[in-house]
Amino acid sequence: MSNLDIILQQLANGLILGSFYSLVALGYTMVYGIIKLLNFAHGDIYMVGAFIGFSILSVVSGILGDGWTGIVATMALSMIAVGFIGVIIQRIAYRPMLQAPRLSILITALAVSLILYNLVMSITDGEFKAFTVGLGYEGISMGEVYITFTQMVLVSATAVLMTILHLFINKTMYGKAMRAISIDQDACRLMGIDVNRVIAVTFFVGSALAAAAGVMAGVYYGSIHFFMGFVIGLKAFTAAVMGGIGSIPGAMLGGLILGLLESFGTQIPFIGSEWKDVFAFGILILLLVFKPTGLLGRTEIERM
Amino acid sequence: MRKVFSVCLILAGLFMVMSNAAFATDELKIGIMVPTTGSEATYGKDMENAILLAVSEINAKGGIAGKTIVTVTADDACDPQQAAAAASKLVSENVNAVVGGYCSGATLPTLKIYGDAGIPIVLTAANSTKLVSANPGNTFLVNSTGDDQAITAVNLFKQKGVKKLAVIHQGDGYSEDLAKLTEKKGKEAGIEIVAMEVVNKGEQDHSALVTRLKSKSPDAVFWTAYYADGALVIKQLRQNGYMKLIAVGDGSNSPKLMEIAGKAAEGVFCFSNPTVEYLPSAKAFGENYKKKFNQEPGPYSALSYDGMNLLADAIKRAGSADKAAIVKALKATKDFNGIAGPIVFTPENKLARSNFVVLVAKGANWELNK
Repeated sequence: MSNLDIILQQLANGLILGSFYSLVALGYTMVYGIIKLLNFAHGDIYMVGAFIGFSILSVVSGILGDGWTGIVATMALSMIAVGFIGVIIQRIAYRPMLQAPRLSILITALAVSLILYNLVMSITDGEFKAFTVGLGYEGISMGEVYITFTQMVLVSATAVLMTILHLFINKTMYGKAMRAISIDQDACRLMGIDVNRVIAVTFFVGSALAAAAGVMAGVYYGSIHFFMGFVIGLKAFTAAVMGGIGSIPGAMLGGLILGLLESFGTQIPFIGSEWKDVFAFGILILLLVFKPTGLLGRTEIERM
Repeated sequence: MRKVFSVCLILAGLFMVMSNAAFATDELKIGIMVPTTGSEATYGKDMENAILLAVSEINAKGGIAGKTIVTVTADDACDPQQAAAAASKLVSENVNAVVGGYCSGATLPTLKIYGDAGIPIVLTAANSTKLVSANPGNTFLVNSTGDDQAITAVNLFKQKGVKKLAVIHQGDGYSEDLAKLTEKKGKEAGIEIVAMEVVNKGEQDHSALVTRLKSKSPDAVFWTAYYADGALVIKQLRQNGYMKLIAVGDGSNSPKLMEIAGKAAEGVFCFSNPTVEYLPSAKAFGENYKKKFNQEPGPYSALSYDGMNLLADAIKRAGSADKAAIVKALKATKDFNGIAGPIVFTPENKLARSNFVVLVAKGANWELNK
């Protein structure tokens, strides 16, 4: 492989990995933007999404087959199902805590994460499940660079979901309400906005995106397990912070940048691939030193 | 009256000594040390069953030189402290020899206890290289140690004409050891190690690593860690067009690897301890085992069965139940053919030749590589 081939291939790798990070990071950043909660259960929502997708696919594949039709249907159904799970979690665990100190709701989020994680662990006996779909490895190769159709579809799906989200936030009344609530909740309430309802919608959308990423990960990597949400939760949170937490374009950008940093971090000469995380997180620290709000974050003035 | 009483007591005592001596003449006491409780209990039970099966077969043939074998099981629970207690129990039971040993960590402290009592012990699963260095002279390992796996691996690579090798591990003790040993043995055999990579546990995307590996164009990739992450690495290697040899260590010896990696796993090589399903000579043993215990033999059943038979063979050759004589006979083992292959010991009392078998993935199963 020539150097140019390596760079192009790593670029493709980074974009694919980054798409996953972006989708999960969006949920972090939306929830943070609206209720200032670092929802640590978000990585586990992604994992639950993968498992729900797994169960739905086993039914759907009987009707629509396990090709793209079945996968798209599975993804849509899982997004709806997990969206509602997100809403239920918000209703039971977070809503009663909204007026409590921020630390309490943060700890609640940790508890939700533990519950989801252990629940799936006990249901699946901690076993790896093979996520089998009928997709081949066909793709296009340009010299030594090789990209499968599956990879192209996944990146395009991410782009489509992000475009829909962008339109939703900027062109609909709910989107407008979300943006308003993130600025001043009390004023919104006085203006007659049903704040709780909008928060619920935010959770629905964030969880649905995580579920989409979870199903996509299952399809792409071919195996799912109860632990899969941990690493990506951590990385997606990093991506959200990198892009500026609370900023939706920031989360998209942060995810892609983190994905690229990791894949190029693997390629640093003389040191092994085990340093890629050191490289990626090192850049994060540097970024936060020079721009504490992240790439696209706004400076927040905290009024006491 | 008092005199009569003491005479009675002395007589009773004498009788007991005599009866003990009488028993000693037609019985051989063998200690079985395996974990029968705790997290490793299933493996311990599999081993104990295999040993008991061997004992019942030997006794059915009239025992060893007219002596029947009786067994005492001591539970080491895979815990060093409990293992020490179990060993002391077997020593106080005055066993002639001990067979068993699953967890290397738990077995380690017992070697000195048996050594001090001069009791020979045949280890049928525990295989840490530390056991070799801690051996007081009475310990015999019938399972190959970690460096033997590296040798088996390097032999396969040589045979397949591999010149450049890439090794991937996960940074934990087990997989890193195997990776480093393979690196060492590979270099000695003239194989160039073009990459030594580490993968984080639980990471799903290895595409960047795959690209890095491909850029170094290795003839073979050796994954030394466990099946779950290994399956993902294999899948992504194949997905990205790496079509050369892939091998995995014994931690990946699970049909789950094929389930997760799907058709990408086809033709992947795996190194494994000799388990019953891959041993043509263990067919009868497998059937008898199933008949007697109504379950499949476990991963170390074959070796445990061999260990007990080896011990019986050595006692027969020693011609006495004397512990030192048994140790000497074990050391002199020459043409013992177990179901898992022949057993010959090095001066350090470990297997002279590796008993690792090479498997190859065919469809959803591992098959013996021919």
